[in-house]
Amino acid sequence: MTRNGPVALIFHTAVVIFMLAPLAIVCLVAFTPENTLSLPTNGFSLRWFDAVFHHPDFVQSFWNSLWLAVLSATLAVVLAVPASLAITRWEFPGRGFLNALFLSPLIIPHLVLGVAMLRLFAIVGATGSFGWLVAAHIVIVTPYVMRLLIAAISGFDRSVEQAAFSLGASEATVFRRVTLPMILPGVTGGWLIAFINSFDELTMSIFITSPSTVTLPVRMYMYATESIDPMMAAVSALIIGITAVAVLLLDRVYGLDRILVGQH
Amino acid sequence: MSFLELKNITKRYGPLTAVGDVSLSVEKGEFVSLLGPSGCGKTTTLQMIAGFVEPSAGTIRLDGRDITRAKANSRGLGIVFQSYALFPHMTVFDNVSFGLEMQRVPKGERKPRVEEALSLVHLSPYAKRYPRELSGGQRQRVALARALVIRPPVLLLDEPLSNLDAKLREAMQFELREIQRKVGTTTVMVTHDQAEAFSISDRVVVMEAGRITQIDQPYRIYEHPETEFISRFVGKTNLLPGKVVTATGAGATVSLAGIAVPVEAAGLSVGETVTLCIRPEKLHLTVPADGLLTGRVADRFFLGSQWLYHIDGPLGTLMVVTANDGSTPAEPGATVGLEWSPSVVRVHRGAMAEAPDVALEVTG
Ligand SMILES: Nc1ncnc2c1ncn2[C@@H]1O[C@H](COP(=O)(O)OP(=O)(O)O)[C@@H](O)[C@H]1O
Ligand SMILES: [Mg+2]
Repeated sequence: MTRNGPVALIFHTAVVIFMLAPLAIVCLVAFTPENTLSLPTNGFSLRWFDAVFHHPDFVQSFWNSLWLAVLSATLAVVLAVPASLAITRWEFPGRGFLNALFLSPLIIPHLVLGVAMLRLFAIVGATGSFGWLVAAHIVIVTPYVMRLLIAAISGFDRSVEQAAFSLGASEATVFRRVTLPMILPGVTGGWLIAFINSFDELTMSIFITSPSTVTLPVRMYMYATESIDPMMAAVSALIIGITAVAVLLLDRVYGLDRILVGQH
Repeated sequence: MSFLELKNITKRYGPLTAVGDVSLSVEKGEFVSLLGPSGCGKTTTLQMIAGFVEPSAGTIRLDGRDITRAKANSRGLGIVFQSYALFPHMTVFDNVSFGLEMQRVPKGERKPRVEEALSLVHLSPYAKRYPRELSGGQRQRVALARALVIRPPVLLLDEPLSNLDAKLREAMQFELREIQRKVGTTTVMVTHDQAEAFSISDRVVVMEAGRITQIDQPYRIYEHPETEFISRFVGKTNLLPGKVVTATGAGATVSLAGIAVPVEAAGLSVGETVTLCIRPEKLHLTVPADGLLTGRVADRFFLGSQWLYHIDGPLGTLMVVTANDGSTPAEPGATVGLEWSPSVVRVHRGAMAEAPDVALEVTG
């Protein structure tokens, strides 16, 4: 950072302002006492937050999103731990294929996934099912978990496990007492990043949610196409808040620079 | 029958024979080192004893029991890894206690045994620390305590000191030996560092390209290396190609570039090509008239307790090491004589191998 010249510094500041300004303004607007989207000029008010909490559709969508994110992140981790252990440690036929398969949702546009899932749900008769929505989210968040876990496991000194074996531990004990605790930052980091991705996923979810399973981003989208009032800003502020907390946690347990810069 | 016996142990990885036909007997309480350059199969051999690598052929017996195919977690051996392999998420105490827990030692009994092991390696005050809060030398000791606390029949050490700096390494060598003497555990250590192997082992096993080339006491390996490779690998040496000109019973004369040198070696025949091997410290500098050879000091290096000279003469450049006894060292450019006793000259039959220095590059 110290190597940046004044021009670079101004440029960086401009980029950061450019990116943060809309978020900051949305958060400010959420506190307006007016009936229109406007900056709160005559006092702060929580009336729009109050409106959100008393809007049954939004409350239901919030719980939908929260459950969806918690379930899909948790199941993705349960799936990804053995998968990434197998992929990083064993040579078996189809290993490269499996690796590519797990990571492929990263490069498929969510729009395409949404259409595909819509068809799939129709074929299996699962339209509107919350369980299948969770399954679809698992598909899109698993690659993120896998990437973190594979990084955590690749940097793992196998002789630590060998040491535990030599001291008389069984395979299961070694996993529980040594392997899992040692990859725990990767596991928690993976869970959080999966949570964040699921919680604010819109594009795919639009296609596959039903009135009873509408998620918060989808609800916002539907609402915003009809009317724009400061309640939108309040919901946005809530989503920004929850995501920010998750990102801060992620930074604490795993380190953002490790995820973003790709240092293992 | 010996306590630990490897019989014709072989490990093949596809076409590569990592370890070939290794047989070794280790007595109870003995400290044996496997010494050899990187990639010669030391770790693989140790891992087969530990049970992490399955031998392609051969048998391993421990105290009369065949353990060749036994699982690593049923062998009860103590292992210290090069990377120490401590459990990073456990305190020093829990690291050491882990093995006792696995052996279902009752909790009340564990504490005194962990404390005993920690005091053995002088780490009692550090029981509550985490490995990341310890220095390299301290981690090394935790690894040792963790391996010894389960009272293993055999202790296996893979390059245990190679991650320590030179000064600490030397101190730990002696401490390691002292601890091993105190607990009396049969020990097999792997190292590529000959000084380390020599200073603490009862016997040294020299390995070369997956095979054992010599098993002997450290002093004997240094003084009587059985192959030219060993004399190169173990310490510094001057290698001189020559031809036998006379041979009489226990002695012979070898011609080195026209200079006749007496040697003590039986069974040589006249006309045979040989390689003579003389350690630098066995050569003495004299006044030119007294020497078997004369030469010119090309360079000299101060090593603290010793001087190392490069002497140019009729046989090429010879290395000479003299003790720094306080006398005035020979100046570069000076003409000096070289003398030695016939008994210090080792004779290897056959011609000298090419490009010696490349083969000597030794790393972890
Ligand atoms: N798992 C393995 N697969 C293939 N080759 C191996 C494996 N482990 C060791 N080797 C090879 O076996 C030889 C001996 O290795 P090693 O026992 O580690 O040597 P050292 O410990 O003496 O340096 C090396 O050539 C190494 O590349
Ligand atoms: Mg090795």
